Amino acid sequence: MIQLLNTLLIGITSGGICALMAISMVLVWRSTRVINFAQSGMALLSTYFGYEAIVNLKSFWIALPVAMIGGALFAAFIEVVFMRLLVKHSSSGPIASVAPIIATLGLLGIIRAIVSMIWGGQDVRIVGPLSNDGFTIGGETLVFSPLKLLILISVIVLMLLLSILFQKTNLGLSLRAAAYAPEIARLSGIKVDLVRTLGWALAGAAGAVAGMFQTINANGYLSPYSIEFSILLVSGFIAAVIGGLESLVGAVIGGLVLGVSVSFILMYVSSSLGFIAPFIILLIVLFIRPQGIIGAKAARRA
Amino acid sequence: MRKHKESSHLLPFILGGVVLYFLSGMVDELRVYQGASIAVYVVAIASIILLTGYSGQVSLGHGALMAIGAYAAAVFRIEFNLPIVLCFVVAVLVAAIGGALLGAAAARLSGPYLAGTTLALAISLPSLANEFAVLGGEQGLLFDVGSAPLSLGKEFTQYKWFFWIAALAALTSMWLLQNILRSRYGRNWRASRGNEVAAQLAGINTARSKILAFTISAGIAGLAGALLSMTIGTVSPSAFPLNLSFSLLTGAVLSGLSTLSGAMIGAVVLVAIPEIAEVVAERIGSSENITTNLPGLLVSALLVLTVLFVPNGPVEQHHARKAKKAAKKKELNILTKPSMEGNT
Repeated sequence: MIQLLNTLLIGITSGGICALMAISMVLVWRSTRVINFAQSGMALLSTYFGYEAIVNLKSFWIALPVAMIGGALFAAFIEVVFMRLLVKHSSSGPIASVAPIIATLGLLGIIRAIVSMIWGGQDVRIVGPLSNDGFTIGGETLVFSPLKLLILISVIVLMLLLSILFQKTNLGLSLRAAAYAPEIARLSGIKVDLVRTLGWALAGAAGAVAGMFQTINANGYLSPYSIEFSILLVSGFIAAVIGGLESLVGAVIGGLVLGVSVSFILMYVSSSLGFIAPFIILLIVLFIRPQGIIGAKAARRA
Repeated sequence: MRKHKESSHLLPFILGGVVLYFLSGMVDELRVYQGASIAVYVVAIASIILLTGYSGQVSLGHGALMAIGAYAAAVFRIEFNLPIVLCFVVAVLVAAIGGALLGAAAARLSGPYLAGTTLALAISLPSLANEFAVLGGEQGLLFDVGSAPLSLGKEFTQYKWFFWIAALAALTSMWLLQNILRSRYGRNWRASRGNEVAAQLAGINTARSKILAFTISAGIAGLAGALLSMTIGTVSPSAFPLNLSFSLLTGAVLSGLSTLSGAMIGAVVLVAIPEIAEVVAERIGSSENITTNLPGLLVSALLVLTVLFVPNGPVEQHHARKAKKAAKKKELNILTKPSMEGNT
């Protein structure tokens, strides 16, 4: 019973982090119709911003917003400088359909190379604000820890804030309109380009939080070529696909489904399936319900 | 007639082989080894050009398919002591089977979905090596092709032997691919890439044609994987990192995704970049952090710049510019000499 609870809670925590990453991919997809494979690089850079803030200001709670703002500014910069050029230059010819994918991959390479030029290839350490030693219930120690609880609560709070932003504010309305029908949104006076940049900025901030939490949730060590960020990228993508790639609610559900099922597979099937399990889940989803849990039919052909 | 035309394409490849033979006798060992690497990259890049440039499917997981080929070759070499040629054939077949399975899933997906799925494969597959004892875990397996036969002479070094095997494989697979691309199948791929619905209306089974492209591409990638592990001497998960898949894609984009013969350009660039980076880093006298990361930065920057400014590759771009100029000239002629129009 304790073990079941344990597995569930760990799954929900890592699922929440996946969900944040999925949200940032969905935000970018909705605003530019691009799957941003550089998202993990952007999260990496933001996490290094957070690391610098921790070193200089000694507080995780200042570092988190620093990482978020840094991530948001960087993402906006990328959208303005880079994506607009890409749309202008590579929208015809045999590689038009694959150009954005290749370009974001190249961007990922550039970001990682620059990060390791600045901070070096060695591990640095980010210490979370709370202990990662498990709770003890009736003599049994859980893997679920105060730190994980904190991560979980922060993720929930952030999601609530995001949903308020999208459902209750004018900005959220224009974000939704620009994603749904850019031309009509433009006709009704929404500055679509600006809104697009804002979508990227939000995605950058969400990715920054995912990067920070992923790092402290694992073991706190951070390095430019860390496998954690590749996993974060892939699981964020898988969560987004499970959720149908269009919907933010779907991304959250996708993240939780992925996190919990991976956690159960690791606990009850084999602990060495950590890398292969998400891939198998992705294949199952693509075969059974390719439009995602929430996605509309035929979205796959976009 | 057609048969004649196809077989005549064999000649440039034989000529290329002869040129390479004399070239490899003249340069030092390091260059011979780099030549072998270039040949390996040519094979790998050609497999991506076939898949992405002609059939229009993206794969970020070709590193994983290369790993499948390499492991298959090494396992058959160790367990059954197969002759080396058969090992390469096994590598092609096993990787092609893997590619067919992946292709069956891929035919249902498009663009970003396929990219993400193959990316997930590239990350997850190498870790399987730790699951099975026969694959040798983290330190991997030895893959020894043996030294060159004595009949080739005493001064025929190991690296030269590697170069010969790799160059022969590269020439053969380029020739094969060239012919496949000119055949019905190549036409079907280009048709489905251009407009899938139109291709279906014209009677092409686009799903089957996509799976076939994936299968052939995977087989060639498997060959490249076996060749790569031949030059390294071992097969291990760390020889097939995510970055390998990325740099292959870079090589293919630099080559021009839809010009098979451009594979050479991409391969040379991939091998040359670390050297260029070294020279640049020495010139500016920078710290170690910068020196070690400069090659990665250059590769990625080249990738981005190519996609942004020469999206269809240097060769294609050149043709396009020429065609545009010719068209303009024609237009001008028609405008200035209206009286000529009746004659032509």
